[in-house]
Amino acid sequence: MTWTRSALGVLALGTSALLLTGCGASGDGGGGGNGGGANDGTGEITGSIEIAWWGGDARNEKTNAVIDMFVEANEGVEANGQSADFQAYFDRLNVQAASQSLPCAVQLQGRQLNDYTSRDLLLPLDPMIESGAIDVSDIPEAVVDAGRGEDGNLYFLPYGAAYDAVGINTTLAEQAGVELPEEGYTWDDFVTFLEDAAAGLPEGTRAIDSNGGRPNFFIGWTQANGKTLFSEDGKLGFSQDDLVEYWTMWEDLREAGVTETAERTAEEPSGPDQGYFANGQLMSDTIPGNALTPVTAVLEGKGEGHEVTTIAYPSGPEGSGNALYPSGFAIPASCDNVPTAAAFVDFFTNDMEAGLVFASDNGAATNTAVLEAQLADPELSETKKHELELFQEIVANDPPTIVFPPGYQATFEAAFRQAYEQIAFGNQSVEEAAAAFIEQANAGLGG
Amino acid sequence: MTQQLAPGIIADAPGSQWSKGTRSRSKRREALVALLFLTPWLIGLVLLTLGPMLYSLYLSFTDYDLLSAPTWVGLDNFVEMTTDPRFLASVGVTLIYVAVSVPLLLVVSMLVALLLNSKMKFLTGYRALFYLPSLIGASVAIAALWRQVFGDEGLLNAFLAFLGIEHGSWVGNPDTALGTIVVLTVWAFGSTMIIFLAGLRQVPGELYEAASVDGAGPLRRFFSITVPMLTPLIFFNALMGTINAFQAFTGAYVISGGTGGPVNSTLFYTLYLYQRGFAQLDMGYASAMAWLLVLVLAAFTALFFWSSRYWVFYGDK
Amino acid sequence: MATTSLPVPRRLFPARLVKNRLLTGIIRHTLLVCLLVVILYPLLWMVAASFRPNNEIFNGLGLFSGSFTLENYANGWAAGQQGFSRYFLNSTLVTVLSIVGNLISCSLTAYAFARLEFPFKRTLFAILLGTMLLPYHVTLVPQYVLFNELGWINTYLPLIVPRFLGTEAFFIFLMVQFIRTLPRELDESARLDGAGHFGIFARIIMPLALPAIGTTAMFTFIASWNDFLGPLLYLNRADLHTVPIALNTFLDSTGENAFGELFAMSTLSLAPIVGFFIVSQRLLIEGIATTGMK
Repeated sequence: MTWTRSALGVLALGTSALLLTGCGASGDGGGGGNGGGANDGTGEITGSIEIAWWGGDARNEKTNAVIDMFVEANEGVEANGQSADFQAYFDRLNVQAASQSLPCAVQLQGRQLNDYTSRDLLLPLDPMIESGAIDVSDIPEAVVDAGRGEDGNLYFLPYGAAYDAVGINTTLAEQAGVELPEEGYTWDDFVTFLEDAAAGLPEGTRAIDSNGGRPNFFIGWTQANGKTLFSEDGKLGFSQDDLVEYWTMWEDLREAGVTETAERTAEEPSGPDQGYFANGQLMSDTIPGNALTPVTAVLEGKGEGHEVTTIAYPSGPEGSGNALYPSGFAIPASCDNVPTAAAFVDFFTNDMEAGLVFASDNGAATNTAVLEAQLADPELSETKKHELELFQEIVANDPPTIVFPPGYQATFEAAFRQAYEQIAFGNQSVEEAAAAFIEQANAGLGG
Repeated sequence: MTQQLAPGIIADAPGSQWSKGTRSRSKRREALVALLFLTPWLIGLVLLTLGPMLYSLYLSFTDYDLLSAPTWVGLDNFVEMTTDPRFLASVGVTLIYVAVSVPLLLVVSMLVALLLNSKMKFLTGYRALFYLPSLIGASVAIAALWRQVFGDEGLLNAFLAFLGIEHGSWVGNPDTALGTIVVLTVWAFGSTMIIFLAGLRQVPGELYEAASVDGAGPLRRFFSITVPMLTPLIFFNALMGTINAFQAFTGAYVISGGTGGPVNSTLFYTLYLYQRGFAQLDMGYASAMAWLLVLVLAAFTALFFWSSRYWVFYGDK
Repeated sequence: MATTSLPVPRRLFPARLVKNRLLTGIIRHTLLVCLLVVILYPLLWMVAASFRPNNEIFNGLGLFSGSFTLENYANGWAAGQQGFSRYFLNSTLVTVLSIVGNLISCSLTAYAFARLEFPFKRTLFAILLGTMLLPYHVTLVPQYVLFNELGWINTYLPLIVPRFLGTEAFFIFLMVQFIRTLPRELDESARLDGAGHFGIFARIIMPLALPAIGTTAMFTFIASWNDFLGPLLYLNRADLHTVPIALNTFLDSTGENAFGELFAMSTLSLAPIVGFFIVSQRLLIEGIATTGMK
């Protein structure tokens, strides 16, 4: 009998020991200090770093090629890249954050940035810019600002600026007998355009997806109409009436049969090259600007001769509705090789050769010299060229910079889609859903 | 180690004539043998399993966002559940799913196992083919495949249109989306079937021969021999099926793209738990949900074991 | 070997029986084939789609629409930094070691619970079952912290060591249930012949529990061959990646999706499992078990 008792003793001991290490490791959390002069990014560029990003095979290949160039250019440096699809990437990133083992260069967007900055997990890059370790002179200021946190410090250096655009299937538009909206068109013009088109579209096609649940479209609408998206304290800045107005607009379109049905939108696959627009079943849709190339390829595969193009989001009394959503690399406070990480961040964003290899795979290159070099390349495909030129046009129109409060990606985006689904499937009135959404979002935002 | 222990056990083997002293000695020896057999598991339990489990139990009483240290909040997480509409929705979805999918899965896999437990041509081939769906049940490819079948322009609707029936999307409709996931579960009946098949193989043939001599028909032989002999495995499949159904995650995650939509109609308990823990960085709440589920499942398991005395027959009794 | 469907009174109606048998056979095969077509259509579609160019994948529900190409297989196989030959090799290594680990640890544990008496048996069994009840999502983080402290990140240890330590209670429970269907008289007679517990375990129970072993091996094969989350968290270097991680790289919700290559490599990744199934069921589920019973 004695063995059992001692075995149980061991069991209890082992467990509590584990518990202690578990708590201890997590207990160190949050306080990741970033004091000290070493964090201005100066110092010897050597040793090994981990680099993490999201993306599929095509992007991995390009990123790895750039990493190889970086290693070659810096003797004594070893770099290992780790990538995964967007959602899996963040699952892993958060687990790594929980155990204080974040890679030294992690890719982020403004949409999640402040989840990390509000817990002091990232190093501000401003000292590294001052020390010259990171160069931002070739990047438009509006674009750099998209990498700033709530406290105004720069936390990631945008290397590629994604934007959303209205994709238009010009073949279908022609069949419907409508002219493309002209530059500077408003939301009212856009709605009229859709309604006019709906009447003349061939069977089996619709004017646009049921888009009331897409946060980026809504952001475009608020910016064009001068609404505040987020208040100073990181809560919602627009009113329930604003949201009701917006969703009513979409509901009117859906009920009139201008948009896709709620059911079909619910089952639509998430990748822009998999959606109904890429299938030639929609005359227009909101798509990421850099989806034009894959969408064109899919439509070619259909062999029905459909052609597509992209135009900027509708604008309004307050100007452009096109926000930029740049991605860039951040350096965690737990990084033990800041000089090398800073050198990599700078290299990835500013090196000309690297920029040409990466070829604006994740949004247009933010470095203007790199962007122009890409545009000057005679090999550049027509669609890719259009993507980059539209980006230039949007930047020229002084796009708004949005600081997303902590909890944005976690709470706002999912809740927004769910709330509109409740309306589209007839479970709630627009007012009810708007009220419920505002309450839910405010509870999760600004954390 | 086997060599050293074996002689002692052999010496004790004829148990019926033991005196009281030798009996307790042999009991102790058997316990020692059991410890040896259990050593790997006990090490794993102590070092790998219990620690993380108990830590998550602790987290269920905290506010923990993964990114900073947990703070103790007592029962707040559990209290929040009582008014959280999505939590309540997920409970409803999961209960319906358990009630429908578990019996369906058991019946279908038992029927196919019986069908495949006979001498016939291409038997191995058939078994492998019936097993195929459960091999890719969790693959990323499944979402695309399911849309091909149950989507608006899917196979099922093409078939219905052929019969002159019009129907919209099954995956995209809140009323039918859960049904398509039940179908996915039943479609991947292979694992449950394999366990039944392996069990059927263990039923001694002599029993059937004896019953046949007594003039029992196929149906009677099924209910008086096959079913009783299989009860330990029916019990196993029913219990594991229930536990798995309560913890169902992958099917809904893959098919709804992780959203649990449309309108929360496929928001399984564990899917919501995952959303809270990882997407919304609310691991304290997720842990609380997990431990509530443990309590419920423990009650179910206890109920199963209690009821098993009345209907499960072990060969070792 | 008699089965439930074998007609009993052979000698009485021999002529009708042959006819019946033929008829039953035909009916049975027709039924099975029809059932299989319905069940396997999605998979057949996937295989067919894997032979289409990427931008024609979703053109239609038929199996033979669009043009035919082997490109997806060629491109897919070469995809990633290392190519799929490496990923298949890695997956095989992890899977084989996982199977060995699970078989050893689970069968030992199961024998103790099914056949031996020891103190706290019921409590320990309850704990065993209890470990199955907690959704794995909430132990991911503490487990990661643990393996990180041990320095096991970027090794296969977090995927393999737990299996040698019987952390998957499902298989232990499965084997316990199997062993308990075996009559105890078998052990008793072996004991009378002078066998100890290890002898009974190795020479009596294990051969008789071969169906359970085959099942465990098969399920472990599938679970570790398809495991995504474990390799995602613990294997961050391309030369360590397993097949599911590599498959995931074909999908990119923020960029281009390569469904053709995904389907092609998914099809290929099914092949080893099917092969293993056929081998394991030939060896384990079919013959030996039944002959052992007699």
